[in-house]
Amino acid sequence: MRDQIVDDLQLRIPTVPLRLISQGAEALIFMTNQHPYLPAGVNPCDVDNPGKYIIKYRPPKPYRHPKLDKRITATRTSSEAKLLHKLYQLGVKAPKLIAIDAPNGLIWMEFLGYQLPDMRYSSLKNWLWLLERESDRDHPVALADNVKDCCNGIGRSIGVLHLHGIVHGDLTTSNIVLTDEATLKPSLIDFGLSSYSGLPEDRAVDLYVLERALKSTHPVYAEKYWEWILDGYHDVHEEDGKRGRKKYSETISRFKEVRMRGRKRTMIG
Amino acid sequence: MVDMDAFAKPGKPYYLALGMEGSANKLGVGVIKHHLGPLDENNRAEILANVRSTYNAPPGQGFLPRDTARHHRNWVVRLVEKALKDSGVKVSDLDCLCFTQGPGMGAPLQSVVVAARTLSQLWELPLVGVNHCIGHIEMGREITGARNPVVLYVSGGNTQVIAYSRQRYRIFGETLDIAIGNCLDRFARTLHIPNDPSPGYNIEQLARKGKHLVELPYTVKGMDLSMSGILEYVDGLAHDLFSGKKSKYLYDEEDGERITVEDLCFSLQENLFSMLVEITERAMAHVDSNQVLIVGGVGCNERLQEMMGIMAGDRNGSIYATDERFCIDNGIMIAHAGLLAYRVGYGNELEDTVCRQKFRTDEVYVKWRDD
Repeated sequence: MRDQIVDDLQLRIPTVPLRLISQGAEALIFMTNQHPYLPAGVNPCDVDNPGKYIIKYRPPKPYRHPKLDKRITATRTSSEAKLLHKLYQLGVKAPKLIAIDAPNGLIWMEFLGYQLPDMRYSSLKNWLWLLERESDRDHPVALADNVKDCCNGIGRSIGVLHLHGIVHGDLTTSNIVLTDEATLKPSLIDFGLSSYSGLPEDRAVDLYVLERALKSTHPVYAEKYWEWILDGYHDVHEEDGKRGRKKYSETISRFKEVRMRGRKRTMIG
Repeated sequence: MVDMDAFAKPGKPYYLALGMEGSANKLGVGVIKHHLGPLDENNRAEILANVRSTYNAPPGQGFLPRDTARHHRNWVVRLVEKALKDSGVKVSDLDCLCFTQGPGMGAPLQSVVVAARTLSQLWELPLVGVNHCIGHIEMGREITGARNPVVLYVSGGNTQVIAYSRQRYRIFGETLDIAIGNCLDRFARTLHIPNDPSPGYNIEQLARKGKHLVELPYTVKGMDLSMSGILEYVDGLAHDLFSGKKSKYLYDEEDGERITVEDLCFSLQENLFSMLVEITERAMAHVDSNQVLIVGGVGCNERLQEMMGIMAGDRNGSIYATDERFCIDNGIMIAHAGLLAYRVGYGNELEDTVCRQKFRTDEVYVKWRDD
């Protein structure tokens, strides 16, 4: 079935080489070296990785009524694209939007990240796993200053999102990537479940989901990482002045409530 | 491997349990038999009796706790007698009495637990309190033979996507407000269609005749969903339709025909079921499973089964569903789940048989599984 979907997409864009890199319940992620409208070998000047692009494809779901399916695919694709563009305008590090074909469920965006020394992709998860493997009692490299700075940066990015009334909706350590080997500048990716929301509840759940993800994927150092992320989250609110401070205290007090709540506590994932 | 026979009576090669269910408008009594040894393809549970009585409210009304509890009180003795007669089992041969401890409506739960306590003292049998959702899941697994499926539990009071992990049935996604069955039942009330055999069944029949898809809100939130807004919206459309309004949205945008009640039922089903299938697929991707089991009253709906089947097929997986005997609340599932718990040492003293309206699926420690 997956092959069928890939073939169908390839038929629609025959001149674009596609390499499937991941598949979720809703979308398939492809890597390609072809820009949608520039000639081969020519790239925009403001992308991190010239010649590397991501295509996110939401295939039709045959179980849905075709009319409903079209509507859902188009609205989700265009809202994700709008959000990416909004983030670009706000100056938040995120994949830049390159092209969108909403009726067909296609988003073309910039590729972020690089290859780690262990040949894996530079998601926060892989990077932390690598450091955790190298850590021992005398040299806890997973707790070094560069990790601290990186976690601060992540907290800041989430904070900026929240200050602008955006919630990510699916914060995990695989949805955060390091974009530069030298500076370790982090970026959030996969805005498929993101939305605009002014509710402290939604922001709190956003934080809570990330805390849970940290604890389940990086159990040993999760507390430290989380502390650093919250520091960054706090600082960026502090710099925003009175409004930011108010928002911060609302979010954090709700976050403590969400943590205590029985419903989410016994759930995994 | 869990030892399922540590509590067996010496010299007796089987177990017998009587189960009583009354968490909503159905009163069910069932008798089940397990042979010694773990249950598998060659050692299936035997259903000796499965009787049920349903309380149906008049069209345009829902079942009220008070009336439902009265129905249960009136029928419980007759049903227990009938179940015992059907099964040909002697009371002295039973191992335990199982009853629904929750979740459900307080008054009906209460009336059944009172009957269970009385019988337990009369017959000197241990009581086993069963979580209603666990009853559905375990019965579904036993009937269909699905080993470790993602479970979609859809009924009048519950909408949950559940997967097993480390001895608990964990809730991955669920409704944030009303249950799917509740949504369908209440829409049936708006339409004034009969509650017999069930409002959902009557909506399903009407939906088969619908052909225009009306646009309704689609509210999936990650793995959770919300349905109260959809109900509000479709109720509004139905009211406008009945009052003869001529608004634009009461006509199909393609062929200009006026929307009918059948179209509304069709659209409501398509919309709600798409949401269910979507969150189920997300849970399947998350836990990397390709089996899906549908349980609960709404699970009888053939359109839901069809949609789920297409989704599972695309994931090279399979769907398991049961028919109305086991989908709709029944006593046999309580007997079965209760007996599984009894066989690993569970049991309730009289003082902890208080029923709980909000008994959650993931509170139960599933001692009888260790995979």
